[in-house]
Amino acid sequence: MTTPVSPLVWWLTAAVVLAFGCALCVGPGLIGFAGDTEARALILREIRLPRALLGAAVGAALGVAGAALQGYLRNPLAEPGIIGVSGGAALGAVLAIHLGLASLAPIALPAAGLLGAAVATLLVVTLAGAGTGPVPLMLAGVAVSSLTSAFISLALTISGNPFAAAESVFWMMGSLADRTLTQALLAIPVMAVGMVFLFRLAVTLDALTLGETAAQSLGVDLVRARRLLVAGVALSVGAATAVTGIIGFVGLVVPHLLRRYTGHQPSRLLSASALGGAALLLFADTLLRLLSPWLDIRIGVLTAILGAPFFVMLVVRMRRELTP
Amino acid sequence: MAGTHMTETFVLMSLRARVWVAFALWQITAPAYALPPQRIVSLNVCTDQILVDLVPRERIAAVTHLAADAAISAAPGKLAGLPVSHGGAEDVLARNPDLIIAGAYTTPATVDLLRRLGRRVVVVPLPQDVAGVRAVIAEMAEAVEEVGTGKALVADLDARLALVRSRVARQDAHPTALVYQINNYVAGRGTLVDEALQIAGLKNGGGGVRTFASGQTSLEAIISAPPDLIVLATRPDAYATTVGDNLRHPALQRLLQRLPNLVLPWPLWLCGTQHIATAIETLAEARDALLRMTQRTP
Repeated sequence: MTTPVSPLVWWLTAAVVLAFGCALCVGPGLIGFAGDTEARALILREIRLPRALLGAAVGAALGVAGAALQGYLRNPLAEPGIIGVSGGAALGAVLAIHLGLASLAPIALPAAGLLGAAVATLLVVTLAGAGTGPVPLMLAGVAVSSLTSAFISLALTISGNPFAAAESVFWMMGSLADRTLTQALLAIPVMAVGMVFLFRLAVTLDALTLGETAAQSLGVDLVRARRLLVAGVALSVGAATAVTGIIGFVGLVVPHLLRRYTGHQPSRLLSASALGGAALLLFADTLLRLLSPWLDIRIGVLTAILGAPFFVMLVVRMRRELTP
Repeated sequence: MAGTHMTETFVLMSLRARVWVAFALWQITAPAYALPPQRIVSLNVCTDQILVDLVPRERIAAVTHLAADAAISAAPGKLAGLPVSHGGAEDVLARNPDLIIAGAYTTPATVDLLRRLGRRVVVVPLPQDVAGVRAVIAEMAEAVEEVGTGKALVADLDARLALVRSRVARQDAHPTALVYQINNYVAGRGTLVDEALQIAGLKNGGGGVRTFASGQTSLEAIISAPPDLIVLATRPDAYATTVGDNLRHPALQRLLQRLPNLVLPWPLWLCGTQHIATAIETLAEARDALLRMTQRTP
């Protein structure tokens, strides 16, 4: 059975292309380019292109990871930033930088990020378990994310870095600014592999909507599914966070916005969330550069400002469902 | 922050009685005639650097743990080997100081506590201009009772700046210069760096950067309209820190290949001390080189 590509995917693809184009054309406070030809080439290739590529890739990675986590855990609150996966990745990256590993081999940075993310994901998934409802997941997530942020502060304090405070802000509230093409080209393949792993969960996630027992009777291997999930989330979110810091709420908001248009089918939600995440992050980052050229308002701050009310809305809706 | 202060206070409260006894004993055994302060503790990395030029080393009871850190202090060699305190009130009291010099940003709780325990604390402001540097040196010299040395230090600073001014006045040109720091920060108007640039015959700004207040710019703004001279606050590889990535960025490295630039070590102007003269001399030399270059290629 071949599923035809839905109009939703076409619309979202168009949105990503448009957002990517906008990201390349918009500078701090201006549409277009300033400076001489040489400066323009330098700006396009070394500054805007890596930013746009990373915006698209990181948005996609966060969107897919959010959709996969929500599908596997059958829990609408699962989100890499909230449950501590991004925190684990940031801790891995901080350790790699301050132990000097990142300067030995460039690949060490995304590698450390995905290692940290893998440990955090494994911890949360094991602690919370699948299908146990939002409470255990949130508790495990709060535990892991506060632990990782504490360790990040500790590592930065011990490092004796006079910029420890600014550095903490970078990791807690991510940014796409000043990332290089090298960093982008190093992290994007790792994110891509992670996303492929998560896409391979599609059939499993659809089966899991019927419950674990029903899924197993349909031939779903739950152990393999968990391995794929942990590896996929660690690779995609780990590599993304190692380069940009923690960008929260994208993985929460995007699947929620798109769920109703995918017939509540987790398999279709995965690809839609990848495209939606990429478009959202690109548009948000472009908007930020236009609106606040002289103040480095971090993209992580904007996604949190946009995402937190969304979280509140989810809480209100849940309470309404719980109270008769 | 509040938590730390509370713990500090708590630890000290339990020690207070002991401290009072120690203080009383010292009062009794102290000589009756008034000597200038003999056990001076400095709680600020900036006052460390002034203090070491004002009094003989044996009169310094402690400097900060950053005093000999070449990444922050302008005179790490001179300050190396002096006793080091970590700035906590308990640590300071253990050294039985007769004068404590604190910076404006030293935690008020510590200063307050030391004063309540009867210690003499002089709080020195962080200068925002050369006049402020002179004032701070004079204030500290008076506190340590070395007014003559202080005057000599200020005279030396003034002489060096006068030399720079006369050299700068020879050519009526004001190339733009931008002091570009870690995390995209630039120095704005009304800062010590801004005045240093002015004295050295340079105009703070360029690069389409608004410099009326210190703040952040973007790499892109600098590349689209670069200043005549880029002044880097640190070597890009000085710190393994992500917020310094802007200084390591390939786009900036490419720009630096074709744009005059210099590294003005951060410690020289981080504090408003007599060492600002070295920073200003370095800037004036860079301006000279820049003007020679532009004259050669009209």
